[in-house]
Amino acid sequence: MTAALTSQLAEDLAHAAQSLPQTPLRRAAIARLSAQGLPNARDENWKYANLRPLERQKFAPAQAERGAVVLLPPVASGARYVFFDGRFAPSVSSPGRDAAVRFTPLALAPPSAAAHTARRPDERFALLNEAFATDGAALQAPAQHHANETIELLFYATAPGESGASYPRIELALEAGARLTLIERHVSAWADDSFVNSAVSVTLGRGAQLEHYRLQELGARAVLFDTLEAELDADACYRLIGISTGARAARTTLDVRLAGERASLGMAIAGLGDGQQVQDAFARVEHLAPNARTEQTFRGIAAGRARVAFNGKVVVARHAAGTDSRQSLRGLLAGPEAEIDVRPQLEIYTDDVRCSHGATAGKLDDNMLFYLLSRGIDPDTAQRLLKWAFLGDVLAQIALPEARRAVEKRLADVLQDATIKELM
Amino acid sequence: MSPMLTINNLSVSVEGKPILNGLTLEVGAGEVHAIMGPNGSGKSTLAHVLAGRPGYEVTSGSVTYEGRDLLAMAPQERAREGVFLGFQYPVEIPGVNNVYLLKAAVNAARKQRSLAEVDAFDFLGLVRDKMRLMHMEDSFLSRGVNEGFSGGEKKRNEILQMLVLEPKLAILDETDSGLDIDALKVVAAGVNSLRAPQRSFVLVTHYQRLLEYVVPDFVHVLVRGRIARSGDKSLAVELERRGYDWVSGEAA
Repeated sequence: MTAALTSQLAEDLAHAAQSLPQTPLRRAAIARLSAQGLPNARDENWKYANLRPLERQKFAPAQAERGAVVLLPPVASGARYVFFDGRFAPSVSSPGRDAAVRFTPLALAPPSAAAHTARRPDERFALLNEAFATDGAALQAPAQHHANETIELLFYATAPGESGASYPRIELALEAGARLTLIERHVSAWADDSFVNSAVSVTLGRGAQLEHYRLQELGARAVLFDTLEAELDADACYRLIGISTGARAARTTLDVRLAGERASLGMAIAGLGDGQQVQDAFARVEHLAPNARTEQTFRGIAAGRARVAFNGKVVVARHAAGTDSRQSLRGLLAGPEAEIDVRPQLEIYTDDVRCSHGATAGKLDDNMLFYLLSRGIDPDTAQRLLKWAFLGDVLAQIALPEARRAVEKRLADVLQDATIKELM
Repeated sequence: MSPMLTINNLSVSVEGKPILNGLTLEVGAGEVHAIMGPNGSGKSTLAHVLAGRPGYEVTSGSVTYEGRDLLAMAPQERAREGVFLGFQYPVEIPGVNNVYLLKAAVNAARKQRSLAEVDAFDFLGLVRDKMRLMHMEDSFLSRGVNEGFSGGEKKRNEILQMLVLEPKLAILDETDSGLDIDALKVVAAGVNSLRAPQRSFVLVTHYQRLLEYVVPDFVHVLVRGRIARSGDKSLAVELERRGYDWVSGEAA
């Protein structure tokens, strides 16, 4: 960290310690962040992230929202909770019919520090969120309850960066055997350079099943630092689909612990960058119990001068015999000055595991392109078609039809393709 | 009447190495021409140059298609104007649906002629009819282009595309290679079903086998980038008997 950033952070943390409600979680976060500081580009797992926007950032939470925001239509029918700069907006939210799934604004029920003691150095932005967030969503599903509607959490960034930061926060817990589908969507209300720091915590009890769609569609000037941590008990199943297309600089840190036997993680991430965008994701998956399974898919497309990176680390602990882990990480260079960085990493401390990984970065295949041209397809369409096809392995994992439509529409917009819509 | 395709003294290099050396050929409407020749004689280069594949440098000569300078047209433009290349090695494109490609290709050609897009339902019916002719299973419809196809399936798919697109000039690059005899008959039947007075074929082939089923009007033997000998179908039979050394020796 530079001296300027260090002093800004210290000043804002001191402010938080005085002016924000002091919960054990906030006190702990302020103390640890004061001691550790934020990551910098010399940290191995942060070298692809764009950390420059931090330099001039005010970390105190942004104040009230400006103007009336015209809400996006919901992705699917069900409950929808809307947040402006991380603060719950009950007047524009629509609670669902499934009363068993409990939603509580975090302003009313601050989380306890106990659940968050194991923060790793790579999760320091989650500490930043904990130091400053004053609201958020707590979601809880009771044991054996199968939610009969999807829940959408829609986060608007409304404040410009100079007026402070936006702190979306989710604490989700599914008790044993519960099932839920969650859509988490981040968008910008205006074309501002908002600074968004989101933190998500997921706890899945024994046999719980979560289908989690994360749609990052922030505006072209926004900056995002995002941290998700999840812990899975035995036989729990977590399907995490992340589609990151927005923001000028976006960094997502995922930390998933497969703590119970036979826990299963399906992680499918797509990152698209154009212009000067930076899309950086770091995923750490830890197998801590026997016979758990991970299937990780990443597809990234970098056009213009964009940088798209995915660093997928899988750690297999000593007791995690029978681990089955597969990683397929692929990047597509769609511009002569674009950059792709895909890196699978394996750390295995036991025998009797099955771990495979593949990583590629390359351009569109000339043979495929010519094949399409030779059938009368124009070059622009052919290129977009191949980009679309490239993302197919991620799209195929979107089980919820409404989510799939929303993602396809967004991707068609990002790839500027009307003909793509015919494919749907 | 001027021929559909006129290749005049065409020379082509790949990475500075001359492959075609002053090739001259006329293909009239409704004619079937077979281009035979030993490996490395330039057969596939000719097919690719006609389709507009990048990476080939035309150093001299001209190609006229229906009175237009073919070499000045972009690959997609050639396709829309009725030139079809059946690939020797059809490309797998996972994630791009077969039917979508067919429909996009047909609509691209129709747009060129200011025609409305095909009706999706009618189109599917047409594709199914052609698929039956090519002995292709229904599951093909939902698969990616050539994705996981066997060699024979890929070749049949090429012919299927040709049947649906109904080109004016079909260039088939070693469509017979790697086919067993049953598949060869299916492919040949597909080609024959499309023969018409206004449609021409250029069959690039190494062996005479295909020509037993698709009988050509003319046979040309390509040696070192130019046509060393032309004749009717009996030339193919003679080649099969005497081998390419016979012509290569003469051309030397």
